[in-house]
Amino acid sequence: MVGWQAGKDSFYVDEEYNGQLEHVATPSVSKKCVKCKESTAVLIIRAVDAFCRCCFKEYFIHKFRAMLGKNRIIFPGEKVLLAVSGGPASSSMLSQVKEGLSRDAPKKLRFVPGIIHIDEGGASGQSMEDRRRAVAQVESVLRSSNYPYHIVYLEQALNLPSSVLEVGSSATEKLQTGPSYKAAVDQFIQTNQNLHPDLFLENAWSHLSSLSMQEVQNGLSNPITPENTQALQRLFASVRTLTAKEDLLQTLRQHLILHTARTEGYTKVMMGDSCSRLAIKLLSNISLGRGASLAMDTGFSDSRYGDVVIVRPMRDYSSKEIAYYNRMFDVPSVFIPGLDTKAQDKASIQRLTESFVNKLQTDFPATVSTIYRTSEKLHTACPPQNTNSPTFDKCLMCACSLDTNAEEFSAFKATLISEQLSQRRGPGPGLSLGTAGAPGPPPASFTGQGQCRSSDEGQRQGCGSREPGCCLSAEMPATLDLKSLLCYSCRLTIKDMTAVDILPQYILAEAERKKRRSHMRKEISEFLLEEEDEAKTS
Amino acid sequence: MLLAIFQAGHQITMPVLCSSCAEKRAVLKRPKTAHSLCKDCFFWAFEEEVHQTIVSAQLFKHGETVGIGASGGKDSTVLAHIMKVLNERYNYGLKLLLLSVDEGITGYRDDSLETVKRNQQQYELPLKIVSYEELYGWTMDAIVKQVGLKNNCTFCGVFRRQALDRGAMMLKVDKICTGHNADDVAETVLMNVLRGDIARLRRCTAISTASEGEGVVPRCKPLKYAYEKEIVLYAYFKKLDYFSTECIYSPNAYRGHARTFLKDLEAVRPSAIMDVIHSGENLSVREGVKMPVQGTCGRCGYISSQTLCKSCVLLEGLNRGLPRLGIGKHHRLHGKILSQQPLTQAEERKLKTLEL
Amino acid sequence: MTASLPVLVRGSDSDVSNKMAAPIALHLEFGGGAELLFDGVKEHHVILPDQSEPWDMKQLLVWIRANLLKERPELFVQGDTVRPGILVLINDADWELMGELRYELQDQDNVVFISTLHGG
Repeated sequence: MVGWQAGKDSFYVDEEYNGQLEHVATPSVSKKCVKCKESTAVLIIRAVDAFCRCCFKEYFIHKFRAMLGKNRIIFPGEKVLLAVSGGPASSSMLSQVKEGLSRDAPKKLRFVPGIIHIDEGGASGQSMEDRRRAVAQVESVLRSSNYPYHIVYLEQALNLPSSVLEVGSSATEKLQTGPSYKAAVDQFIQTNQNLHPDLFLENAWSHLSSLSMQEVQNGLSNPITPENTQALQRLFASVRTLTAKEDLLQTLRQHLILHTARTEGYTKVMMGDSCSRLAIKLLSNISLGRGASLAMDTGFSDSRYGDVVIVRPMRDYSSKEIAYYNRMFDVPSVFIPGLDTKAQDKASIQRLTESFVNKLQTDFPATVSTIYRTSEKLHTACPPQNTNSPTFDKCLMCACSLDTNAEEFSAFKATLISEQLSQRRGPGPGLSLGTAGAPGPPPASFTGQGQCRSSDEGQRQGCGSREPGCCLSAEMPATLDLKSLLCYSCRLTIKDMTAVDILPQYILAEAERKKRRSHMRKEISEFLLEEEDEAKTS
Repeated sequence: MLLAIFQAGHQITMPVLCSSCAEKRAVLKRPKTAHSLCKDCFFWAFEEEVHQTIVSAQLFKHGETVGIGASGGKDSTVLAHIMKVLNERYNYGLKLLLLSVDEGITGYRDDSLETVKRNQQQYELPLKIVSYEELYGWTMDAIVKQVGLKNNCTFCGVFRRQALDRGAMMLKVDKICTGHNADDVAETVLMNVLRGDIARLRRCTAISTASEGEGVVPRCKPLKYAYEKEIVLYAYFKKLDYFSTECIYSPNAYRGHARTFLKDLEAVRPSAIMDVIHSGENLSVREGVKMPVQGTCGRCGYISSQTLCKSCVLLEGLNRGLPRLGIGKHHRLHGKILSQQPLTQAEERKLKTLEL
Repeated sequence: MTASLPVLVRGSDSDVSNKMAAPIALHLEFGGGAELLFDGVKEHHVILPDQSEPWDMKQLLVWIRANLLKERPELFVQGDTVRPGILVLINDADWELMGELRYELQDQDNVVFISTLHGG
């Protein structure tokens, strides 16, 4: 058992670590509902509150509306894309949207929904037949909603345009110049006052439904070629660790959703992350070095893409509540195996974190809600954007603000120093660094130095090639070039790849473009400086 | 030359060469960077990294007196050794001394203090031991007798924090450095996330404390970016003398969970410890989140965000036979204690119970 | 101590199964607090009996668990490897450089287990 390290006094005044969470309080059997105090409770949420079926439904529905109402960022009439994986949380979200849109006037949700489902089976090597079956199941759920929907295949990410990586003009800017939320609602209600609610929705959707049918037909007839699938599989096979595979999948998924939203005119995307999921994501993102973008990654809204804002209306629900609701009120969901299905607990950082949080939650029922509350107290350190180069200091892949500034002494810089000190140098100790605290960037060759890194991960898969010593030669010189455009965590992902030139073309092309631009900017500024100098001397 | 020959699932390994000198056999794989180093290159890199940390973060000034918090454990033993080495190698001009706390735990601290005393000889550094008994009139053995094994770590942690400061003041120490390593810092980040403690989350990655006020000596962690694995191997290869027994009164279950998780993370991706610290260093807290305001204790003058410092409250509880006083929130009673007013019977009853 | 030894049979080992591996002597050392799980005894000279295939680290851990561990085996081994936080050195080099569980033990090898999980 690991004990309190008695050798280390608490570093800070007032520090104490007696903060044990409360253990499970087992409530008595056949309790009455805490809300109506009449009916017999059927489930217990938030540790000890027991609800009956009826009050639970009301509570569940109210929470969805309250979450949207509190945050006030979805405007009436706005096109909102629901990301539905088919899993319990996103299926539940879909049912809540249906519920909200079908309500009577004052409690009615007033946006215009559409759905996106991404078939990711290509990344985990599922057979075409299994994939078709899964998609068909999801589709039947989506079809029953009567909303327009888009089935997109992960393979399609390989053919995305580079423009998907550009940050759109900020929605907040529009907000500042446009009408306030309240004014927008008022105006909306006025203009639609005379319309029958159903009639209004029909109007809004008439043009969408035709579009969606076309999408669906496209999807059915010729979604992807076997070559696409092979290319996708090659990409994932080039990633040595499940941790990095999952991270890459997340990135590609985001890009596909973003692209679909932009091309189809959606300005908001709803993700079905539950409170349990977000707690896991928060902790695993910390472990992946994504601390800087934690608030964006786990908060209610994420505006990093500018024109399309991600919202997470399910973030107040635990996975338990969702499971119960889906079961009691017949919300269909589809189980689709993913990259880490059946993987061992220690197969990846994400998988490990999930099992850690779930186990801890069993012993300490406040675990998830406490982690979740941490996320509410964070906000993104968004340095003031340079108006000349809005995309310049954002990560090429995940679009978070770059967190790789090594000006101050930091973990990032300490690692750079360690790398430098562990590499080939002149004989004998005593060779000192040039100037203390200003090490240059490490040479390009450091990543694979002299040994196969595949044993670093619990997954222990091959390093992508069967030739002996493969890892020695596998590092592409391009690694370093790409690195400067990536955030700390995306660099870790790239580091786990045998080659970066296998990344989708849209990413590589955008990297090239960014580099050319920064090069040009540098030349221009040098030119301007020269001119200035000349002006001074003359 | 093939590095490894595979045979029926077994591996007969030819020595891996050092990635730095490319001459000698590597003795460890560095978790931070995945490089392999020989013994000499490892010593050099490890020491140089601590030096870089000290210089870049400007932890010390020439001529300062620095107290090294020494417990006899691996981290503080390595810290004492390396501070001595670097002080001489780079002419920091520091006056170093060892500072130890005797909590009064029979069979644990008395043994580890023997290690510290040997370190004193080995490193030729002055040693000051301050004991709970002389400072507070209570040993941990006596405290455990009264409060049991559930909240004893609270008493110990709070008392030790202040004891080091008091010892440092007696010796006119300018700064205290402690053996907190990268694993400790990363673990604390995870702990604070698990406990939703945003105030501590924000400051726990700082390498040093600014002067917090009268009676509080600034502290720093020169080993902040050193992996526990490397510290232990450094001690092993250098044959440093350290003490490695668990505190008999300890195990804090919740911290244990965080530690286990961190070690598992490290096994999956060895850089994860640095990655967690990087995350912690780049978090930013929403404005308007309440942060405690620091003042001073009305009784002893030590820094405190309440009327009385934690140490005085705990001590008062012990002396009055009301151990609950310092556990949980009883801030409204601080005024009464300060002015020595008697507590009501109901208040006493509440604070007496040991079922915490 | 002659507890019955686990016989590990591996399908792929047919090519070596006809030759018997001779008993090998090892010097095992437990430190950093890991010795507490072995009655506080730090150094152990052990002889692994002959078996049909060479001894590797994975089998050594099984053997240690069955023959040397005195208490709380979960604090020393987890799954088929050592608990994270316990360092392993084979002939004074990090076992991560030696193939870890797949390292084939040789007569007179020196294997050190150091816990990093104790004290500070």
